[in-house]
Amino acid sequence: MSSFILTIREGIRYRGGSGQYSWLAHRLSGLAILFFLVIHVWDTANAFFWPQAYVWSLALFKHPFFGLGEVGVMAAVLYHAFNGARIALFDFKPEWWRHQRISVIITWVLFFIIFIPIAIFMLSGIIGHCQALAQVGDSCFRIPAFSEFAQYAR
Amino acid sequence: MAALTEKTSGKITVRRVKLQGNVERYSWLFMRLSGVAMLVLAVGHMVIQHVLNSSANLTIQFVAVQWSTWGWKTFDILLLWMAIPHGTRGLYTVLADHIHNPGAIKLIRSLLLLFILATVIWATIAIAMFDSAMVP
Repeated sequence: MSSFILTIREGIRYRGGSGQYSWLAHRLSGLAILFFLVIHVWDTANAFFWPQAYVWSLALFKHPFFGLGEVGVMAAVLYHAFNGARIALFDFKPEWWRHQRISVIITWVLFFIIFIPIAIFMLSGIIGHCQALAQVGDSCFRIPAFSEFAQYAR
Repeated sequence: MAALTEKTSGKITVRRVKLQGNVERYSWLFMRLSGVAMLVLAVGHMVIQHVLNSSANLTIQFVAVQWSTWGWKTFDILLLWMAIPHGTRGLYTVLADHIHNPGAIKLIRSLLLLFILATVIWATIAIAMFDSAMVP
């Protein structure tokens, strides 16, 4: 664990330039996606194995806390995808290595151009969901009870 | 790394190099190929399920509609088979950078391999066996 914190600290302090930040961002986004993915896959498998738990989790994931996490996962997937494509391309095209610096900039620009509108759209969706619940006297911050989904018990 | 046998006949030395397994090389190749596949599968999944549709109105009935066709089932199974090994292999790469005890890293390697198999098999059964008629 201390070695992980050391990596984060030195990863920022080490003056490796843009390539260094790409490496760090690729690792962190990858780990973040894996953390989400494992929960997501085992949870979705419950649609078949344990429907009540799945339907309850669907209700729980409508909480704004998970909504913000979803925006974070979107950011991680988009960055990891674009930067991963860059890495794979350079692995197979060594003659392009002299364009490393500009390729990093292109990756970040592409990421922000695509992510920002998507993030605004997703965030407005969360706000809209909360407003719709507030109008019927409910709250998007309410944690759903497991027993509310007893009809899906098997 | 390599077992070496040399045979000298006249002026030419024939050297046979026997590589001990290619797991690392195929892992590297898998990361690239699955990564390219997921440019379509994973990014497509995010756009379709989390932007065009939204978690705010996702229901098990919507899942039942999607998983009533083998097209969507195949899409999700393919993504599963790419994403879980890709992500877990990535975690292994990160861990191997920090853990220098050969015994510990060997144990982690086996545990992560078991984790990949268990997750992929469990979730593939779930997607393949999911019967939309079961959903109320």
